Amino acid sequence: MSGKHEMIRVRNLKKSFGEVEVLKDINLEVNKGEVVVLIGASGSGKSTLIRCINFLEIKNGGEILIEGNSIDPKKDDLSKIRQKVGMVFQHFNLFPHKTVLENVIEAPLIVRKANREEAKKEAMQLLKKVGLEEKANVYPSSLSGGQKQRVAIARALAMKPEIMLFDEPTSALDPELVGEVLETMKQLAKEGMTMIIVTHEMGFAKEVADWVAFMDSGRILELAAPEDIFNSPKEDRTREFLMRVL
Amino acid sequence: MPSISHLIEEFIRTFPFFLKPLLLTFELTFASVLVGTVIGLFIALLKVSRFSLAQMIANVYITVIRGTPLIVQIFVLYFGFYKVVDLGQFWSAALALAVHSGAYIAEIFRGAIQSIDKGQMEAGLSLGMSPAQTMRRIILPQALKRSIPPLGNQFILSLKESSLAAFIAMDELFSMARRLSAETFDEMTFFLIVAVYYLVIVMLFTYLVNKLEKRLAKGD
Repeated sequence: MSGKHEMIRVRNLKKSFGEVEVLKDINLEVNKGEVVVLIGASGSGKSTLIRCINFLEIKNGGEILIEGNSIDPKKDDLSKIRQKVGMVFQHFNLFPHKTVLENVIEAPLIVRKANREEAKKEAMQLLKKVGLEEKANVYPSSLSGGQKQRVAIARALAMKPEIMLFDEPTSALDPELVGEVLETMKQLAKEGMTMIIVTHEMGFAKEVADWVAFMDSGRILELAAPEDIFNSPKEDRTREFLMRVL
Repeated sequence: MPSISHLIEEFIRTFPFFLKPLLLTFELTFASVLVGTVIGLFIALLKVSRFSLAQMIANVYITVIRGTPLIVQIFVLYFGFYKVVDLGQFWSAALALAVHSGAYIAEIFRGAIQSIDKGQMEAGLSLGMSPAQTMRRIILPQALKRSIPPLGNQFILSLKESSLAAFIAMDELFSMARRLSAETFDEMTFFLIVAVYYLVIVMLFTYLVNKLEKRLAKGD
């Protein structure tokens, strides 16, 4: 394990909604700079897993360690942890009453108590990075889905997270808008951002992922390098799933 | 039935008498809606909070206030409560109206808060904002905007309900109509005239709320 810096470790994670067991005994390790893509049928628990890592869902059992520290959602300051772990949602969840720029500077101003001018300057750099600096002063309602998602990425990056979680970031987009969001994510991966991505974009997974985890009814059935998963899956269920989606 | 010309004559003749009551009706309504909005927001926040004790307090408040007549609440404050603190006529009526409309306004705010997509709270939390910060900065501004049409409606109700203050001898609009009709035995004329006063205020106010709504809608 020399040279590897562990960012996230999930141990024996369990999560139920009422009677339904959504996550059964999940184990996952993500090191600094790695991109892990979660694939699997809908309902297999992919989204719930990354929502647990951000504590938007509270686990029923097991352990989540962020940089080696086991997090107790009842005792630990979740705000501190979430500042390290950015999240991008399927439906963007931009703040509709705030302009693009205001969306991006909101958390730095309120949480990090950043200086307004500095926060603006950083936000403009981030907007430039996602190719939307000319949209800084418009409201989200006038943006396309792809633009909204790129703003959402800039907004998450404004908190300077060490890890980024993506929950089906392109699933709500028109097909012709998927590319621009994936491009932004590829750029992030290249810069060495640690990422966990739930996606149905298999081409993207092949290209960008260090590891691909196939999830099936609440378990990680197979975890391997993308070429192994896509070319020679070990599990029948993985093969069946890939046959259907590829 | 009084003739139209008689109504108009009497309207013009008594107009000066109605000026002070009109002002008082406005004062009562604005004071009660203002205080009622503060009460309503507070109760709504209790109701959407995670704490069951807070929810319970809010539920008891809403149940009791909505379950009893406003006139009883006014009498309780004016004839009963003065042994503890003498609020006087104006604040007895204004507070009773505020407490009363507060229960309805609480439900307006609660509905508006709960109508905001839960992804908004999640987005705030995921950025490291606390639940309270997200409520204040993200949820409430959107919810308050959605509350404006039903709040306008509540204002209209409060305006009309302020007429009940006549029964604790406040000289507002309805009280003046009662006095004039008692003095002249021309009841129909003065109750119709006071109806016109209320109607015109409500129509004016409705127009203003509609304009405000249109202006706020521009951001959407």
